[in-house]
Amino acid sequence: MQVNNMKVKVFSLILVLLLLLSVMPAMAQEGDPIVVGGTLSLTGFLSPTATLHHVAGQAFVANLNENGGLLGRPVEWIVLDDESSADNAAALYERLITEDEVDLLMGPYGTGNITAAMNVAARYGMVFPHHTASLTYVYDYEYHFPAWHIGLNTHITTNNILYDALESTGTPPGTIAIVTNQFPGAMNLAFGNDVLEPGGAAHMAEERGWEVVLEVEFPSGTTDYGPIAAQVRDADPDFLWVGSLGADGVNLIEAMEALDYHPRGQFYLWPTPGPLLDLGEVAEGAFSVTLFEEHEPFLSNIGAIDMVELYHAAAEEAGLPPSSQIVDVQVAASWSAWQTLVAGVEGAGSLDQDEIGQWLLENGVDTVIGHLAFDPEQNNFSEDLTRIKQIQDGKWVVVWPAEFAAPDAVPIYSADAE
Amino acid sequence: MQLFIQSLLSGILIGGLYGIIAVGMTLNWGIMRVINLAHFSLTFLAAYITYQFSTVTGADPFLSLFITLPLFFVIGLVMQWFFETFQIEGFVSLLVTFGLFAIFESIMREIWTADLRTLPLDIVPYRVESFWIGPYALRKPQVGVFVAAIIVSAATWVFLNRTYIGKALRAISQDRVVAGAFGVNHRQLALLLGGMMGVYAAIAGAFIAVLFVLRPDGTVDFIGVIFAVVMLGGLGNTVGAFGAGVIIGVAQSLTSATIGPGFSPLVTFSLLILVLLFKPEGLFGRSATS
Repeated sequence: MQVNNMKVKVFSLILVLLLLLSVMPAMAQEGDPIVVGGTLSLTGFLSPTATLHHVAGQAFVANLNENGGLLGRPVEWIVLDDESSADNAAALYERLITEDEVDLLMGPYGTGNITAAMNVAARYGMVFPHHTASLTYVYDYEYHFPAWHIGLNTHITTNNILYDALESTGTPPGTIAIVTNQFPGAMNLAFGNDVLEPGGAAHMAEERGWEVVLEVEFPSGTTDYGPIAAQVRDADPDFLWVGSLGADGVNLIEAMEALDYHPRGQFYLWPTPGPLLDLGEVAEGAFSVTLFEEHEPFLSNIGAIDMVELYHAAAEEAGLPPSSQIVDVQVAASWSAWQTLVAGVEGAGSLDQDEIGQWLLENGVDTVIGHLAFDPEQNNFSEDLTRIKQIQDGKWVVVWPAEFAAPDAVPIYSADAE
Repeated sequence: MQLFIQSLLSGILIGGLYGIIAVGMTLNWGIMRVINLAHFSLTFLAAYITYQFSTVTGADPFLSLFITLPLFFVIGLVMQWFFETFQIEGFVSLLVTFGLFAIFESIMREIWTADLRTLPLDIVPYRVESFWIGPYALRKPQVGVFVAAIIVSAATWVFLNRTYIGKALRAISQDRVVAGAFGVNHRQLALLLGGMMGVYAAIAGAFIAVLFVLRPDGTVDFIGVIFAVVMLGGLGNTVGAFGAGVIIGVAQSLTSATIGPGFSPLVTFSLLILVLLFKPEGLFGRSATS
């Protein structure tokens, strides 16, 4: 009888424990929410890509709350629309800090907006994780934490990674054309800057003995790519390097196709990835940069599989077109920025900005794009984690460096191609 | 030389697109005194509907005109009814239509999100195909919009100058009260003109869906240049709008090919300032309404 009583007690205890475990996340989230403030370009010319960051951020926060929140409190994300304007971004971050008194900040989308908002964050000593800033040489604020981990000298290193990929084919280009949007980040990658040592796509190509046969800059909002395409056709380079954003790449490829001109090799810097895939055969073989694609070894990074599943569902629910439901560099960078913020707060065990900032500087953070180390000597960048991807058989796959390439994927390019 | 001629042709054709968008704007402004910013977002709304029609049915995007032409005639008519009922014109119309512009843009963003949308090439393979004159390529959809612009601007000119209704519309643009005294029902004619604006937006939208990657705020890429085309062509002058579209298209294209694309806006607006200084009624004058 006593044995039976004991069994009942143990069984009851297990039941109570199970019950407690099942409600723990909900219990853990009792209390005022931790408010994270930030802006995104929900309207304006940056909105197509910022939309991906919005969907990714919402999915991350929802998942965070379902799993116990942060420091045992639920997380609320206030997102304001900066309308793709750096001035607006700065003003709204000022408001988030001084009027809304948010606990934490999350950076906006786009180099210009991030740069403007970072100045505000610095003034108030707020920790500032961000996803996509590319003017690495101007960010000397100690508590900015870039997820777009492209190294301080991205104007040199990123181009070298691409050019190494081309040379790995054994038939590298002898001539190159540089066509770029006048967006500051793209200009830095194309022609370098006056602060650091010389670099940029043109300079780095010349260092390898490749002749730069064409340099064209075009403004955002260009509606007729015909004349640019005609210049490329006339120059007929072995390789076309395009500092593109959003739909620039699609527009230029279509304009070249209309002239019946097919570059032997082509690179697009920061395209919105879906529309290029939608072009089908015409865009086959195009190169771009990435920090993450949906294959190994990236899927082994911390949180990567969760991110892929959660983002797919969230993107579908948000009504994004199928080609934008794929996780790529933009979504992964967004996710990494959130992982950085969460790791900093949990590591510090508080919302104190200095404690969070110092913890991140000392420890770095493992994210979906790999380990991010924040080196103050390198403006909180460290190694350039850029990988080169290429459209092969209608899909983006990483092809370089070899250790990050998709199974059996290698760069496909030949300067001798017809 | 080949680059120069190719760019010249490209500029002439893209001028057709500017012209077809500007025709609606210039009539609204010149005859009804409504500076209709909503015309831009209405055009893009038509483009999105064209996109939706084609991607869902797999049919040629221009077949969507069977839906969009009557639909946008009604939308244009309702908008004009609104302007007439609340006597919205001049500077006030700029403010009111800016509000409508924002509303239409929000609707597009809600339905199609801010993500980029483009018609698949297997539905519109001719988007990247060209007619060839020797070594020179004429992109098929650009040729299409150029021809459409000629037809629309010329037909509208004939309508305004050779028909009783057209003459009545011109009379309204000069003096509504006097026109009314002669038995012209300005309200009915205004509604008709509003419907026509909607039809023009639908036609331009179909071409935009074929030619461009869509985003809800894509309108901003056109506002500056279309205003320049309208001013250059002369308010209310549809043939002028077409001519000015071609002039600006060519100026932009040649600048882009010879100096650099970054200088295109500079050339466009310098041209506009020069014309406004020395020929303020526009290069082609207000021939349709004066």
